[in-house]
Amino acid sequence: MYRQAKYDEPLIFELGKKGRKAHIPPRCDFSRDKIKIPENMIRTTPPELPELHEGEVMRHYVRLSHMNYCIDVNTYPLGSCTMKYNPKINETLARSEKLMYMHPNQPVETAQGILEIIYELQVALANLAGLKYTTLQTPAGASGEYCGLALIKAYHEDNGDTQRDEIIAPDSSHGTNPASTVMNGMKLIEIKSREDGRVDMDALKAAVSDKTAGLMLTNPNTLGIFEDDIIEMSKIVKEAGGLLYYDGANFNAIVGKVRPGDMGYDVLHFNLHKTFGTPHGGGGPGSAAVCCNDLLEPYLPVPTIDYDKDKDYYFFNYDRPKSIGKLHGYHGNIAVALRAYAYIAALGFKGLVNTAEQAVLTANYAVRKLEKLDGFRIAGGKDIPRKHEGVLEATPFLRNYDVSGMDIAKMIISRGLHAPTVYFPLIAHEAWMVEPTENENKDRIDQYVDTVAEEMEKAKADPDYAHHAPTWTSVGRIDSGWSIRNLVVSYKILKDKREKGEYVP
Amino acid sequence: MKEDFKGHPYLANSQQDLNEMMEYLGIKDIEELFSDIPDEIRFKGELDLPFYKSEYELIEAVKAKLSKNITTREVRSFIGGGVLDIYIPAIQDELLRRTEFYSAYTPYQPEISQGTLQSLFEYQSMICEITGMNVANCSLYDWATAVGEAALMSARITKRNKFIYTAATAPNREAVLKNYVVGANLELAAIPYDSATGKMDIAKAKEMLDDTIAGIYIENPNFFGVIEDELDEIIAKAKELGIKVTVGADMNSLALIKPPAEYGADICIGEAQTIGGGPLNYGGPLLGVLAMKFDKRETRQMPGRIVGITTTSNEGERAYANTLETREQHIKRERATSNICTNEALVSLSCAIHLSLLGPEGYKDTAETMYLSAHFIADELEKIGVKRVFSSEFFNTLLLDLKIPKDKKKEFTDFMLERKIFPGIPHSFDGENYDYLVTTSYLLCEEDLNDYVKAIGEWRK
Repeated sequence: MYRQAKYDEPLIFELGKKGRKAHIPPRCDFSRDKIKIPENMIRTTPPELPELHEGEVMRHYVRLSHMNYCIDVNTYPLGSCTMKYNPKINETLARSEKLMYMHPNQPVETAQGILEIIYELQVALANLAGLKYTTLQTPAGASGEYCGLALIKAYHEDNGDTQRDEIIAPDSSHGTNPASTVMNGMKLIEIKSREDGRVDMDALKAAVSDKTAGLMLTNPNTLGIFEDDIIEMSKIVKEAGGLLYYDGANFNAIVGKVRPGDMGYDVLHFNLHKTFGTPHGGGGPGSAAVCCNDLLEPYLPVPTIDYDKDKDYYFFNYDRPKSIGKLHGYHGNIAVALRAYAYIAALGFKGLVNTAEQAVLTANYAVRKLEKLDGFRIAGGKDIPRKHEGVLEATPFLRNYDVSGMDIAKMIISRGLHAPTVYFPLIAHEAWMVEPTENENKDRIDQYVDTVAEEMEKAKADPDYAHHAPTWTSVGRIDSGWSIRNLVVSYKILKDKREKGEYVP
Repeated sequence: MKEDFKGHPYLANSQQDLNEMMEYLGIKDIEELFSDIPDEIRFKGELDLPFYKSEYELIEAVKAKLSKNITTREVRSFIGGGVLDIYIPAIQDELLRRTEFYSAYTPYQPEISQGTLQSLFEYQSMICEITGMNVANCSLYDWATAVGEAALMSARITKRNKFIYTAATAPNREAVLKNYVVGANLELAAIPYDSATGKMDIAKAKEMLDDTIAGIYIENPNFFGVIEDELDEIIAKAKELGIKVTVGADMNSLALIKPPAEYGADICIGEAQTIGGGPLNYGGPLLGVLAMKFDKRETRQMPGRIVGITTTSNEGERAYANTLETREQHIKRERATSNICTNEALVSLSCAIHLSLLGPEGYKDTAETMYLSAHFIADELEKIGVKRVFSSEFFNTLLLDLKIPKDKKKEFTDFMLERKIFPGIPHSFDGENYDYLVTTSYLLCEEDLNDYVKAIGEWRK
């Protein structure tokens, strides 16, 4: 049974009263009279920030936390998101005073400890990638993609191949792939996937030309299927003068089993918040690492973090004339990188390989069990083993019982389980993209599948029940259409609407 | 599975579990699930990765490495430049360690994610209160990437391809801006500043404005700490020409200085680490602010996630949900307004908690302390003949006219370190001599400030 907490929790602005105090910051004794802001620039109306006492701030956010589902409550099998356990030791380590109170502009000789860790992480990630160089400046996966594609672009431009502005990606790719391509000023050439979910080699051959900058491909792909033609693909793209970009969102499947560099990839990004166990934080912060080979190294963002062995000294290397420049104000999400370092160091190579193996086995087990339920069918080649995830289609269920993949997702939410990623990838219909990760044991997966089966039975008997799910959650099924039509996106706008007597829920 | 597999705290299954699952799948070895990977590319070696056998050994090893660092709490830090040492109240971290917040995903299933969604709505609302705007997104990576996103957004709104910015923009933010606009092929130009006042050269700026320009970016206070107080004319002219005005503001300064919305900015960006987003963490994670004046058409050009109030389908109850998602990459793909997906959500929550703790009074109080500490230093140093490079009014940052030769820089750093001081950010106009950009937080007491003045005095002898 599951009952999510439900509070009619007002906005924190509405809980306060003038004069209540939640915190006393340090204060100097200088006379306030000495403050002289140019007259035309003085702030006259203070911001309307909440005024509460400390205990009430605590209650407000504790209540909000009760209205949140998380990985530490139950299964969270979001495909392509890799929701794995966030080891608690990493939270403790990230709160080391020796990290928290480090200013990015402080003298580099006073930061040797953190730089040593970052450098070691760079080396470890490059080894896992089968490539040579790493930057951790990119604060998220999409930033990593932007960086990697910019390296490819810079390489072609440096070689005088300015006409190479096309990135080829399959129609099963993550949404960030085309978005990052366009942000780099390149064109996306989308190629159709085959019936079995793999890249259509004829389509790839037809797509390459002297305009090809590169191929952007996650492997295994978003159906959880390994692109076994990768060697041939690499040949085709490279013969046409292009390079290969590996989207590492799905890397958890193959850690230590096969390395992107050995598959022929020139550059990749890893999402440290996926494969390497750092928290997703309700949307972030994440961190990405970009690894590349000799061809692309000259273009890496400045500064790189390098090591002078003779002096046993870590330093920022700005002497990189061909660099694409900077992608973050400083050196990326260092506190996230530290967590990823600790994650790797807790598992070691063998542990990481075991992780990939368990992630792949649980995914196959879950997908094969779900596939047997009346109303689901598997997307992509039936007999191909999946890797870290698999995609089911609820098309038969929708056709036979008028209950959609989204409805089933909402029903299992009522049961205290998180839905898989729904309606992605776009090449599947009524998609249910399932990625249990190594954090789910067999019993949990059995429970999950049994619950889905029970809910689907209920829906068959009463489709209306399905359409109204979820129940027992903090709020019922949400109509996001209202928010788009009315755009009440701040307390200010809310106050305006109320003053005008307009309806706001 | 390797024969030597003995279980691990991060792995859920025992050998028996694995055997049962393999049996269900009709396989004898997990390797069979990897059999479609061509043998010639399989990795068969073993990598030498960092490894500690127990949690105890891990924590000791990491602590030993980190112990080589010297922190801003072990010395007195006068470094700003966009991020700043702040105090995180105990309750703030207590709340941030709630796994319900940090181990949740992006709220794509809003019915079970109201906690994240409401707190992000509150963060957006607080940013609106501070900047005077009425719509803010729920985060960008940092201030520097916010400059880039603001430039791209200005170009999308105006369908023009030139962007100008003041030369008194922080170098790291300028570098990211230059990178972000490459893809969109925006032409950039820097507006010079007056060498005496450090303020934007208004006459030059006016000359540069025309109706082919998408946007103008002004930092206020600017990188040198100087308050730009003569912007009326230039902003009025920009508006006439349909140019979008973006102001990059120190979020603490806005406790004392007029919010950008009130002097004509269309877009306001900045760094919210400094108003409670979190500790310095050697420069990340940070929290990029992006807020604007609401406009039905233009707001649809914003990058990043936005949370809005909405309603439930059946009961008509209030709820919160991501809104205008059709701007985002997971729906619009190559036509998205930005590629941003994972953002800095937990830092936004952190910032909202911090601002709730400070309230309007604490927010103003901390800013006043920063202001007064910086002015105390400036006044005391002036008494011993150390001047500021620019004469204008400032908030909590000033550029000290030290002109330390390149070959003496290391010596100066060491000299100050011996006195337990991080003296600021070295800045050179000629590549030979270095002035220091000094910023005061509210964590420094009068004794620290006096020590700083004294140390500079000693160095000059």
